[in-house]
Amino acid sequence: MDLLSNTVALSRMQFALTAIFHMLWPVLTTGMAIYLVIVEGMWLKTRNPNYYHHARFWAKLYILNFGVGVASGLPMEFQFGTNWAPLSEAVGDFFGSILGFEGAMAFMLEAGFLGIMMFGWGRVHPVIHYLATIMVAFGANLSTFWILVANSWLQTPEGGELVNGKFIVTDYLQAIANPFMVKSVLHMFFATLETSLFVIGGISAWYILKNHHQTFFSQSLKIVLVVAIAVTPLQIYIGHLSAEQVAHYQPTKLAAMEAKWETSPAGKPADWSLLALPDEAGQRNRWEVVIPNGLGYILEFRKNLSLPVRGLKEWAPGDRPPMVALIYYSFRVMSAIGFFLAGLMLWSAWRWLLGGLAAERIAQQRWLLRAWVFAAPLGYIAVEAGWIVRCVGRQPWTLYGQIRTVDAASRIPASNVLTSLTLFALVYSVLLVSALYFGSRIIQQGPNLHLPCPGLDNQPAIATQPAAFVPDQRPLEAQQ
Amino acid sequence: MDALVHFLPQVWFVILALFLFLYVMLDGFDLGVGILSLTTSDESRRSLLMTSLGNIWDANETWLVLVGGALFGAFPLAYATILNALYIPIFMMIFGLIFRAVAFEFREHSDRKFLWNLAFGAGSFLAALGQGFALGSVIEGIAVDEAGHFNGSPWDWLDWRSILVSLTLIQGYVLIGSTYLILKTEGELQKTHYRTAKLAVATTVLGALLITITTPIFYQVARARLFSPPLLYVFALIPILAMLLVWMLVRSLNRQEEATPLVWTILLFLLNFLGLGLIIFPYIIPNHITIYQAAASPSALVFMLIFVGFLIPIMLFYNIYNYVVFRGKVAGDAHG
Repeated sequence: MDLLSNTVALSRMQFALTAIFHMLWPVLTTGMAIYLVIVEGMWLKTRNPNYYHHARFWAKLYILNFGVGVASGLPMEFQFGTNWAPLSEAVGDFFGSILGFEGAMAFMLEAGFLGIMMFGWGRVHPVIHYLATIMVAFGANLSTFWILVANSWLQTPEGGELVNGKFIVTDYLQAIANPFMVKSVLHMFFATLETSLFVIGGISAWYILKNHHQTFFSQSLKIVLVVAIAVTPLQIYIGHLSAEQVAHYQPTKLAAMEAKWETSPAGKPADWSLLALPDEAGQRNRWEVVIPNGLGYILEFRKNLSLPVRGLKEWAPGDRPPMVALIYYSFRVMSAIGFFLAGLMLWSAWRWLLGGLAAERIAQQRWLLRAWVFAAPLGYIAVEAGWIVRCVGRQPWTLYGQIRTVDAASRIPASNVLTSLTLFALVYSVLLVSALYFGSRIIQQGPNLHLPCPGLDNQPAIATQPAAFVPDQRPLEAQQ
Repeated sequence: MDALVHFLPQVWFVILALFLFLYVMLDGFDLGVGILSLTTSDESRRSLLMTSLGNIWDANETWLVLVGGALFGAFPLAYATILNALYIPIFMMIFGLIFRAVAFEFREHSDRKFLWNLAFGAGSFLAALGQGFALGSVIEGIAVDEAGHFNGSPWDWLDWRSILVSLTLIQGYVLIGSTYLILKTEGELQKTHYRTAKLAVATTVLGALLITITTPIFYQVARARLFSPPLLYVFALIPILAMLLVWMLVRSLNRQEEATPLVWTILLFLLNFLGLGLIIFPYIIPNHITIYQAAASPSALVFMLIFVGFLIPIMLFYNIYNYVVFRGKVAGDAHG
């Protein structure tokens, strides 16, 4: 079929493009919000101005990312209507409600308190400001929760049934607590945290390597390290649990993740494919590197499989995911990054135990710091790869097992979708380049360590005098 | 049970209307300020305009997210059909809002501000234009089949009446943007916006008059509804009240009052909104699909009401708190 006249394929490409692009921004802000809560709390507790300057400096990157995140989030919400009208009509009762909750409960909270967090330093008491920062972080992570509830429900729809093309919900709580929900929410929560930790850590390492503000940035590196020691291994474990639930509920996805064409029976060991070249037409892998008897260990931590693992050939080509190689390699990229980050964390913790991260010696750990800089973008790649596995692996279904993607798409002229898709590609390229450019400028300028700390005592709750105006600048309280 | 079947969609129609009104009012002045920014060549003035929105624009835009979410959850059929039919105006709005949103941050860090100034102003204009087209074509009605699915052509939304609605909405946004700036600025900048506000009153009233006159002429159904009691009395009252509000607004502008122009403008918006709501109700896609036909199942409406209903006062509370914290003029008297 000609791609340019295929509305469904174009709508899918548009959704994929806008989702992949959108994901880049909230993945950082959601996790970074927690970091901001930590440093602002430390400032309130210790009154050490450095922590205040951490809060101010990282918030600059936060707001830059937040802006693009808001901008790219809108098309996500409206696309369900424009490009996926039949799906919206069928699942609106539940899916639409959940998106509504995300807006009302989570996003509004984040956006409503963001103004105070960014520009309210001189206007509210520091404790109120801290409350605003907490609300921003809470709202952002609540967004993760609701969006993952909605997506998990598409993966494992429960709590009702499809009657005459409309999903009638009988038990809303069961639909919210669908089988994928808990582990998926946790996996994404830790993913945003881990990504932002390594971005903050990577940028801090870059400064230390460059001999800029070494003491200041070794503080942030250590905060990151303390949190990452817990997060990185946990994330690997939750990732394993997520794969288990895929094996149980979405056997077609698991088969594609492992490029597994033939079924492996229960009670016997099976090989695990490490690298392969899947050939969909031939329903086989042209070549592969396997770890003998590895599959049982990976899925169940033991040699023999207790349940059969079904191969792709068990389903007709129309009932299993296409693009097996994409799913297979995305899964491997994600997992490899997870292990790499955990390894980096171990290496750093070991150095720390030996005293190598003390302020006067930290700059000597050149290779460790370089590894941190290298790790900065890896979280993003892992998150995107994971979502590709999750959503491409769900195909050919949109509502898994119930509504096919071809039936979910609006019947609109392909030329309309092609136009909007092209515009998205162009606009998003400009936004990506601009955000990277301005982000790197913020990093090159470095923290402003001369910003006066707001006093904790004897300050009116709200400044009654308007701030002095400096031409072509944000007002005093908005300066960064 | 029958009462429930009617009552719940009505509740959600009102909630949806509330979200939409809050969006139109709050992001209305954001977009109006954005459009007004196109007319200034002075960078520090433009900085002030953008700073006046810096802490609130994202919360204001969130009301649109809520409109989308409430429409999707409470009236899935309407969400699907309207957005499907209005593919082009919706993406016009989305791209406009994207440009507007990124301009806030990017301009701050950029040396070549011209590009992001344009993104801010033109983005605001484009978003308002798309919203106007969408509003215009929803009022006119969308072609649907018996199942309520869109069966028109992708360019149905474009005709002289939707252009008229769109241009009028833009004037309305410029009006509310001007009165917002009267409240938030002082000196020369404030004077400028007394002038733009007066100009916008004239154009908005002209547009509203044209729409009011042409609507009963071109829409039989609207005519039938308008000229039958008891709505007849309501619709006779609305123009009278509107004229009164316009008079109060012009008077407050002439007296150089600072806060009241915004208040009268908001009331004017509210009045128009009520009129529009009364014409449309009980339809959600006028003259084809009622709110009862488009509504999600009663259980879904209750489910949403439980979660969203109690949040409405909380959301209003912290949004108002945000305005209280940032009350007062944007700039000191050093400028102006």
